[in-house]
Amino acid sequence: MKRNVLVLAAMVTALTLMIAAGIVNFEHRRKAERMQGPQLTLVPDNGASPGAAMAADTDNASGLDGKVAPALTLADLNGNKVSLASYKGRPLVVDFWATWCGPCKVEIPWFEKLHEQYSSQGLEILGVSTDDLDRDDPAKLFTQKRDIADFASKMHMNYPVLLGEDAVEDKWGIDAMPTTFFIDRNGKIVASTVGLAPREVIEADIRKAIASGANS
Amino acid sequence: MKFLAGLVAFVALLAGSGAQTLPWETPGQPGGGGTQQLVHFLYPQQVTLPAEKPGTVELHFRINEGLHINSHAPRQKSLIKTELIEAEPEGVKIAAVDFPAGSDYAFEADPTEKLSVYSGEFVLRLHMTVERGDHLVSGQLRYQACDNHTCFPPRNLPVSVDVVGK
Repeated sequence: MKRNVLVLAAMVTALTLMIAAGIVNFEHRRKAERMQGPQLTLVPDNGASPGAAMAADTDNASGLDGKVAPALTLADLNGNKVSLASYKGRPLVVDFWATWCGPCKVEIPWFEKLHEQYSSQGLEILGVSTDDLDRDDPAKLFTQKRDIADFASKMHMNYPVLLGEDAVEDKWGIDAMPTTFFIDRNGKIVASTVGLAPREVIEADIRKAIASGANS
Repeated sequence: MKFLAGLVAFVALLAGSGAQTLPWETPGQPGGGGTQQLVHFLYPQQVTLPAEKPGTVELHFRINEGLHINSHAPRQKSLIKTELIEAEPEGVKIAAVDFPAGSDYAFEADPTEKLSVYSGEFVLRLHMTVERGDHLVSGQLRYQACDNHTCFPPRNLPVSVDVVGK
């Protein structure tokens, strides 16, 4: 009898481990495929078309959809600490970008316009710069912060720009830019995109964040 | 107990035999740590140069399909150029590194902004003088890769060549 219980417990454990291994493998394969980018092709500048289809990962790209957004407290360009918690009750977009990221330069003007368009419905946007910062070298740090501020000014970013930190990026699973999270009034991530998503997808995700949690 | 041990071994085998690398491993380097590289050093592993005379070593690299990296001379200040950070061991003097010219590309969503990039395979030429004997010349290729809609953080690729001066 005792042996049977042991065998049963071992089988249940084994089954659980097998399922867990399968899930881990699947998630990792998805991530690796995105990094390899085999389905993506470069477009010679004479053959490019602005209306051509883009292939950003828009289906729970971050793996965080449906979960409460991880905590985030970062300094803005003026050195003020900005916390995600202070945005609770408002629909929010958190966009991880970098000055060296070409696709980010395409989507930032979209965010500026969408910010204006949906501000009456409470929409807030936070742009988190993932540019490297030499925090141990004050002179370099000053130049790097100035470059980010110059970029934000040149791009006319009309929403707060925060200075990213490795620990925060790790917690949010950032390994490619742009990565964007759409968060509802309750702090739940309702959608996310990795890579430059079409403008209409971004707008639909913003609407989802505005609509979700509105009556709770 | 034998059954239990067998079961554990079976599960371990299942977890380890997946076609994909597990999270605690670096793809291509089972059990290893580090970041997944998007550019790969192809060859040479060893090269022979005439001792005490100027010589050239060609380093061949391949970029993952569908990706590009900025050339050594990107057109925008904010872009991260490809560079070789090399160490000069005793007995080796590196005079210069030649980078190829970049090709013109534009992101699909922004065809007006022309970029100078490498894609596919590219070659760097190291001009050096070595003393007689074996010298391990090591360095790192620093690059920042993108595809047509996504960019990846800058990475450093270790590069080593055994240079024999004869």
